[in-house]
Amino acid sequence: MNTDQITAKRVSADSASTNSINTNNTSTKHISVKRYLPDNSAETFWQEYDLPVDDSTSLLDALNHIKEQLDSTLSYRWSCRMAICGSCGVMVNGIPKLGCKTFLRDYEGDIRIEPLAHFPVQRDLVVDMEIFLEHLAAVKPYLIDDNPVKPYDPQAPETYQQSPEQLARYKQFANCINCGLCYSACPQFGLNPEFLGPAALTLAHRYNLDSRDHGKKQRMAELNRHDGVWSCTFVGFCSKVCPKHVDPAAAVNQGKVEAAKHTLIALFKG
Amino acid sequence: MNMHKDDVQHKQAFDEPLWWGLFSAGGVCFAVLLPAVILFIAVLLPLGLLPAEALSYERASSLLFSVPGFLFIGAVVCLPLFHAAHRLRHGLFDISVGSDALNKKLMYGGAALLSVLALGIVVAGFLR
Repeated sequence: MNTDQITAKRVSADSASTNSINTNNTSTKHISVKRYLPDNSAETFWQEYDLPVDDSTSLLDALNHIKEQLDSTLSYRWSCRMAICGSCGVMVNGIPKLGCKTFLRDYEGDIRIEPLAHFPVQRDLVVDMEIFLEHLAAVKPYLIDDNPVKPYDPQAPETYQQSPEQLARYKQFANCINCGLCYSACPQFGLNPEFLGPAALTLAHRYNLDSRDHGKKQRMAELNRHDGVWSCTFVGFCSKVCPKHVDPAAAVNQGKVEAAKHTLIALFKG
Repeated sequence: MNMHKDDVQHKQAFDEPLWWGLFSAGGVCFAVLLPAVILFIAVLLPLGLLPAEALSYERASSLLFSVPGFLFIGAVVCLPLFHAAHRLRHGLFDISVGSDALNKKLMYGGAALLSVLALGIVVAGFLR
């Protein structure tokens, strides 16, 4: 399915809620959108739109208004409208942001909207996130339990036990919504797309810290590569742009300590 | 599957924890010790705000050419050198100058060479 179809489907699925701009109490904002229409031209171009906004207009509302009222050729991704699906990431004046969590009232003057940096652009604001998904899969971001699963016994059901203290160890790092903003913020990922990157390293750390998990050994082999934790130079912009306050920079640097320990243990074991 | 596993194993960065450890230790020394050292040796002493004999030749050489002197040079020269080398290596990568493999050898090699020189002078003075 191509991205146009995805966008079209999402728009039609929720078109009732898209035209939410209140026509009372509005002002007009000027926004520029970086367009790329590979069917017409290999060149990108800036397109200008003037649209009515009020205090509650999010950038996603604005894009939906453009799509429905001004220019149906504009492509972008969105789904939930409440910062949980992670689909509507774009660059706003050069800073990666979620469209639904960005309000136009916070911007004076021109607003420039571009596709997320460091990802290949497919069309307009739609980027190809394949490399991010590959990095995510490489660190096995799921519970790994080597013990064979016993048949379910309704008389004595066995569940994972975890104390609030054990939960607190990883909880913050579990809030990632895979939006990719941290990859657009990371200059090291921009220089080297093979770098596993902030979100994948954070999720690896999240599962390494989970008391129910036994997959740390498998993940450390990925983390302790040049393209693993060691490509991070602690710029810290990933933690600034994260819409869920996950703090990937802290997770990656705690991952460096773990990778160093892993290496020491490997050296002594031979 | 096995090939992928070998491939991953093959690319393990066994040297990086060492460079990062030296970088971290150097950063602590840079932040904690160097301001005091600069204040005493490069500001207070030349301004004559310390007693003239505070670092007289005899006093300075007996302080330096000793085990504490050896540790002092390690902490204020050698570790900060590795800290700087690490920053330079990553800075060069950031501005796409040279290759990382060569930069690594030049930067850490330079830091190691200067460290050996600095510590060598201390040891030579100690044995004199």
